[in-house]
Amino acid sequence: MTTPGLNPLAVIGSILLLLIILELIRRRYLRERYALIWILSGFLFLLLSMRTDFLDRISGFLGFTVPANALFFFGILFLILIVMGLSVITSRLAEKNKVLTQEVVLLKNRVADLEKSHQPENPTP
Amino acid sequence: MMRTLVIIPALNEEETLRGVIHGIRKFLPPADILVVNDGSTDSTAAIAKEEKVLILDHPYNMGIGATMQTGFLYALSAGYDIVIQIDGDGQHNPESLPLLVEPIAEGGSNLVIGSRYLSGGGFKSTFLRKIGIRFFMSIVWVFTGKRVTDPTSGFRAMDRKAFEFFSGEYPSDYPEVEVLISAHKKGLLFQEIPTMMRHRQGGTSSIGILSAFYYMLKVTLSISVGFFRRMR
Repeated sequence: MTTPGLNPLAVIGSILLLLIILELIRRRYLRERYALIWILSGFLFLLLSMRTDFLDRISGFLGFTVPANALFFFGILFLILIVMGLSVITSRLAEKNKVLTQEVVLLKNRVADLEKSHQPENPTP
Repeated sequence: MMRTLVIIPALNEEETLRGVIHGIRKFLPPADILVVNDGSTDSTAAIAKEEKVLILDHPYNMGIGATMQTGFLYALSAGYDIVIQIDGDGQHNPESLPLLVEPIAEGGSNLVIGSRYLSGGGFKSTFLRKIGIRFFMSIVWVFTGKRVTDPTSGFRAMDRKAFEFFSGEYPSDYPEVEVLISAHKKGLLFQEIPTMMRHRQGGTSSIGILSAFYYMLKVTLSISVGFFRRMR
């Protein structure tokens, strides 16, 4: 059960994940700030797939009967945290968007006022 | 006649901003001064207005990178020839301003960095800061082959070619080190000159221990990935 093992398919998957993340940064689709967490998780996957006995040990220690359950448990926990983080980020963006829109509306109003008081002699259509 | 714009990126600098503005007026009188207020919650904007300098107000905090880029975009549209970047916290000595501009005006460099550590600067640093600076120095050396003793310095002067490039592409956080590499890739020439710097006179450093770690990680990642990026 606890022999150090390497899961070739999982290793390939983890490396693919890391490559996709790096390519996304290179194309500027992903800011470094948000990429760091993904890179860290990519390396964690890589570690777990190169040493499958780690997962066995962790699940044994925590009392999971099947190691895969430990994987699911932590996977779902991780995803919940990520989604919460994303919700916080979207809320912040929505707030900024609102402030920006209000600023634009106020500016439009000021420009219109200025145009009225600065009527050019030959108004262009 | 070279038109020069001094950009002060400011976030809550009410204690020091006035002194910085007076210093610039004293040592570089012909230059225009622009305060880019990055969503300060103190009287920074009011002080800038009182001092009758140019002012651009961000409606909320956007970070130092976006703040400088706002300044570059303004300088570009207003037709300036030289841009100087100086901190609003008073740690950059305005006495060095003429020295900083000189290599730009003579056309020898596109970007001049004021260094605390080049001989003549005489700046004492903490141990942690020394490690950080060493680290960034080696990164810059690896990617550009140049020895820059103070790569994180935000005391800089640049010509139109440089700020035109930066106005289109500037990292949003911790931009100082990264832009040295992108400038080098773009074929821009940069050099350092020794400048006197004081310890900050007010406010707090924008960098704590945890963010210092993030700073190093972010810059390393961004530079090594950016290395494989085609130039726009």
